[in-house]
Amino acid sequence: MTSRLRPVLYGVSGVVVLLVLAELIGQLGLLGTTWPPLSTVVAFLLDPDNHTLLGNALAATVTEALIGGAIGIAAGVFFALLAVLVPVLAPGLDRFAAVIDAVPAVALAPFLILILGREGTPVLVVALSVTFIIYISMSSGLSVASHPYQDLFTVLGARRGTRLGLVDLPAALPKFFDGLALAAPAMILGATIGEWFGAKRGLGVLFISAMQNYRIDLLWAAAALSVICSLIIYGIAVAAQRAVARRFA
Amino acid sequence: MRSYSEANSSSIGSVVPVSSVLQQVTRTPSREISLTEVSKSYPLKRGATLTALQDISLTIGNGEFLALLGPSGCGKSTILRIVAGLEQPSSGTVTVGDSTPQALSREHRLGVAFQEHSLLPWLTIRQNIALPYRVAGRSVDTAHVQELIDLVGLAGFEDARPKQLSGGMRQRASIARALVLDPEVLLLDEPFGALDAVTRRRMNRELGRIWSELRITTLLVTHDVDEAVLLADRVVVMTGRPGSIRHIEDVDLPLREHSELTRSPEFHDIVDRLTGLLDAPKDA
Repeated sequence: MTSRLRPVLYGVSGVVVLLVLAELIGQLGLLGTTWPPLSTVVAFLLDPDNHTLLGNALAATVTEALIGGAIGIAAGVFFALLAVLVPVLAPGLDRFAAVIDAVPAVALAPFLILILGREGTPVLVVALSVTFIIYISMSSGLSVASHPYQDLFTVLGARRGTRLGLVDLPAALPKFFDGLALAAPAMILGATIGEWFGAKRGLGVLFISAMQNYRIDLLWAAAALSVICSLIIYGIAVAAQRAVARRFA
Repeated sequence: MRSYSEANSSSIGSVVPVSSVLQQVTRTPSREISLTEVSKSYPLKRGATLTALQDISLTIGNGEFLALLGPSGCGKSTILRIVAGLEQPSSGTVTVGDSTPQALSREHRLGVAFQEHSLLPWLTIRQNIALPYRVAGRSVDTAHVQELIDLVGLAGFEDARPKQLSGGMRQRASIARALVLDPEVLLLDEPFGALDAVTRRRMNRELGRIWSELRITTLLVTHDVDEAVLLADRVVVMTGRPGSIRHIEDVDLPLREHSELTRSPEFHDIVDRLTGLLDAPKDA
């Protein structure tokens, strides 16, 4: 019992220490006026007057993150399956994915705005980063099924599609959910960055306008919201990943 | 050695009459496996080649249990992989009945069990044993699956997952899976290699019992002399690098049905002689 509780205890106390530290730095003004006490940020978040502003921004960002995430997941899985079923494409897809991921979103932004406009850009930035993460995790997942399984299915006379459905895909599920846990924070991050290029609503827009208007409390509130969102999506992904790992690994 | 025999009667807890399974199997003819001057070599760097097998000619008769015995690296598993259609010989021919191994596996007529049980961890034991039906695109014959579960003594564990079972039980499931489509040829590659000595001997006796009921043409690859002599009608002793046949021993003792004969001097004579052959230098 204690051995199971101990890591939880360490984790919780670590977070508490960090929060207390943040509060102290703010209260004592150690890092200047741009680091407010945590209690001020929490008060701002809880103030009903701010809820419409924050709520609209949050809804816009989460919507973009989820749509972009869904597109990214579908594309990542599609390209990973394509690489497996048409092996001649695999090296090219690997390199293409790496190149796309290596180009910073900021550099792609003007190009993305040209294609999709200011509103569609956040979705595309999310989709691009999620596609890469899911493609990589799914590709490695699909090669997890070891040689004994491949030999077994060959001797049993399985067609490629049969083996894919009965072994390779189920065996890839834990890695897929690993990728999903990695992609979760990237979804909120991608949406926020995407919004910097002229979106009308969203947490990214709040960041920009709070910075320009020296609204430190608003800036930190928006940051806190995006962190909380990332953590929630990450938590869901990790819970799913653990459930799947128990069953499929 | 003595303790194995004494453990015999109690170890087979759930022996089930297999007459129904027998009827299923006798419908499909078993096949003869024939290897003619089979050689296998692998290219190495700088134009050199490694000869894994040299001029292997061997016939496994219809309904015969043949064991390939040899030290590791002697190419015995390569022979099995060639017969399974997983590898092509560099020269020579392999026929199973009147077709090739590849054709036979495409028709789902090969049964195989490897040292690694390769049960799918997310399926139950019952689903794992029924897997060949799904691979072949046939509807699962649940009654037949249950018969095999009973036959290998896994009744009561049908809905467990592989990691909940012991190594021996996983190998039973793996053997049941190999048998489920009533294969014409059964290929066993060190199926008990990962088990401890006592479990291994127990599994040997159970396989002997199951096999006596089914009498499918069987090729067993093993480095365990006792196991080979206990189970096979003929034991082929191989030597390594390049792998070639050194000696073929006919085992006339009815060991599969009377495992207490493992205490007999005849059994020990054969085991000692074959062990000596494995140990001795090639041209001695």
